[in-house]
Amino acid sequence: MRRILAQARKELRQVSRDRLTLTLALILPLLLLALNGSAISLTVENLPIVVQDLDSSDVSRRLIDAFRSSLTFQIVELAPGTSPETPLLENKARAALIIPPGFADDLNRGKIAETQILVDASDANTANVLRGSSTAVIRRFGASLLKAEPKLPIKPNIRFWFNPGLDSQLYIVPSMLAVGLALFPPLLAALAMSREGEQKTILQVYVSSISAGEYLLGKIVAYFVIAFAEWVLCLILAYFLFGIGLRGDPSALFVCTVLYLLTNVCFGAMVGAAIPNQAAAIQAVQIVGFLLSYLLSGAIFPISNIPQGIRWLSNIIPARYYIEVVRDSMVRGSGWSGLWLAPFAISAIGCFFFLVAWLKMRRMQLEA
Amino acid sequence: MEKLARWLALFKKELRQISRNKRLIVMLIVPPTINIVLFGFALNPTVTDLRLGVFDQDATKSSRELIDALTSSGAFAVAGGYLSENEISNDIGSGELDAALIIPPDFSRNRQMGRTADIQILVDAVDSNTAAIAASYASRIINEYNQDLVLSAPRRPGSANQLIPSGAGKSLDRIKPNVALLYNPGLKNSWFIVTGLIGALLVLQGSIVAAASMVVEKEVGTIEQLLMTPAEAGEIITAKIAPIFVLLTADIALSLTVARLVFGVPVRGSLALFFVSGSLCVLSGIGIGTLIATFVSSQQQAQLMGFFVNPPLVLLSGATTPIEAMPGWLQPFTNLNPIRHFAAVSRGILLKGTGLDVLYPNFLALACFCVVLVGLSAWQFRRQLR
Repeated sequence: MRRILAQARKELRQVSRDRLTLTLALILPLLLLALNGSAISLTVENLPIVVQDLDSSDVSRRLIDAFRSSLTFQIVELAPGTSPETPLLENKARAALIIPPGFADDLNRGKIAETQILVDASDANTANVLRGSSTAVIRRFGASLLKAEPKLPIKPNIRFWFNPGLDSQLYIVPSMLAVGLALFPPLLAALAMSREGEQKTILQVYVSSISAGEYLLGKIVAYFVIAFAEWVLCLILAYFLFGIGLRGDPSALFVCTVLYLLTNVCFGAMVGAAIPNQAAAIQAVQIVGFLLSYLLSGAIFPISNIPQGIRWLSNIIPARYYIEVVRDSMVRGSGWSGLWLAPFAISAIGCFFFLVAWLKMRRMQLEA
Repeated sequence: MEKLARWLALFKKELRQISRNKRLIVMLIVPPTINIVLFGFALNPTVTDLRLGVFDQDATKSSRELIDALTSSGAFAVAGGYLSENEISNDIGSGELDAALIIPPDFSRNRQMGRTADIQILVDAVDSNTAAIAASYASRIINEYNQDLVLSAPRRPGSANQLIPSGAGKSLDRIKPNVALLYNPGLKNSWFIVTGLIGALLVLQGSIVAAASMVVEKEVGTIEQLLMTPAEAGEIITAKIAPIFVLLTADIALSLTVARLVFGVPVRGSLALFFVSGSLCVLSGIGIGTLIATFVSSQQQAQLMGFFVNPPLVLLSGATTPIEAMPGWLQPFTNLNPIRHFAAVSRGILLKGTGLDVLYPNFLALACFCVVLVGLSAWQFRRQLR
């Protein structure tokens, strides 16, 4: 035990002397969180839309006003003589509303009036939003023309739970907290391990009295301490920059954070022990640790949207479980009831990483 | 003439050095392929099979018809029947359900009497995007279902239907919105992601490879040897850049092939134009990489610097998320990002089939970045040598 702590202290001192690495280690996760939290959003507002009003009647202008007053749209002038598709091709508008001639006449005669909406669907998600809100605006406007509200057979009352304002930061910030912690702590650990292999300082360790397991644990403890500091800083940033704090019982978050950080550090140590080359180790952590945690953990879109063929991969990614925990503690606040699986899954993956790292260390010892 | 011979000798030296580096070749092929496939498959906002909990207090034929209407679209799948509102809200809270449908006991009676029957739909809005899409699906489905009910209902005096003007074919909608989805009628998000990602990959690959190959000379100290040769700083830099540039243009072809084969991304415009803009993108990436290399002294520092530069470059480009969703003050800055302009070009050429007449501002911007970045790094490099 004493030897483990001594090793950890040596490691921490080494890091604290390397000012550049230390600053980067503490600042990069914050930068990533701040950037991701504000830049990744799918809530689109003020989408530019052009209108071609071939009817130019009082009703058609009122329909355009209805679009103008909606938050989703922003009316852009259509230059006279241009086809409504041109601004879509030139990326000047995302959609075009075409009101055909005879629109007001049809309405006056009690016929169903037609409108056409061209949507630039090259961004599928935004196109989906555009389709939904434009039909909603038209439907609402159509209903407002009737003297009395039509009695609907069924009226749906939709309520949004936990996030009534549909604020996408509540979804993205917890995920990015987890993704940042899946990148930087293992990166530092991998660098430290592969440096020993690269510079052959690992030989000095073998001649000392410390065992492979103790040595490994010492490193893990040291980088866990740094990772924990990163976590605390990220929580503070999330609170002050995005106004997202903790809700409900924080014990689940605390337990799972400790396990999650240990697992990630173990992953870094494993990569570092397996690849005695710093540049290659960074690449490996980046691709496996970061990319998979970013893409296959449900960080941006739900896991159920991933095609079956690669969806199973998400089960072996610790960030997948941890994101659920953070989301629960920061948004839902419903505590342990939905989270009991997370600590077991995370520790199982962590133990596997530790075991492989330990075996690699032992092998290195024999080879050296 | 002598200059050219000297430059060619340097170029050959670089080419030989690179072709011996097996890891570099692997790096040029594997990460772009993995990235395009993973991003294209994983970043998928299509909402299907949302777990819907049902608390049907009415339990009649008409309530079951409503449930069928909701699930038949594929957006919702019934995850279980519930016997109390409490149970349902617990399961939404613990994340076992994405949405819940609560049908009150007087549902079918209200329907028979011609009164409006209220139902409740609860959506777990932690994921705001999915929640908004789910809600718009639900209201569209119920709206269509209402339409069917009104059209099929026998007209009775005093019933709800009388309020609908007779000429309107009893329809609830007075105005019909005909939505046409252009350029990507199947709403495949992979087309959006992949066309944006190609530019991000070209810039990242360019910057990583260029930084690495410049720093190696610095680290090993061979840069002094290069300086002792009669070659000038500009020649050294361009001879270093040229082979990387040639190799990376192969990545344009590779990523487009993967995008076509795996996701069926169309090529509706000029392929030549796509390659020209791709090479401009690669060149700006190389410029960023050489610029980074002039600031650092080791591989490790170069890579850590890369962590500072690359994520913002990718995130603030609109390559994978719409620019309109970024905070307003941030949006103008995306114009300074080569990836943003390439995304516009590649979506224009591949999806919309537009040409230079529409895309020339983006081309000009890309060319500007190349000139400025490569010029700046050559200047920095020369200054450091003095």
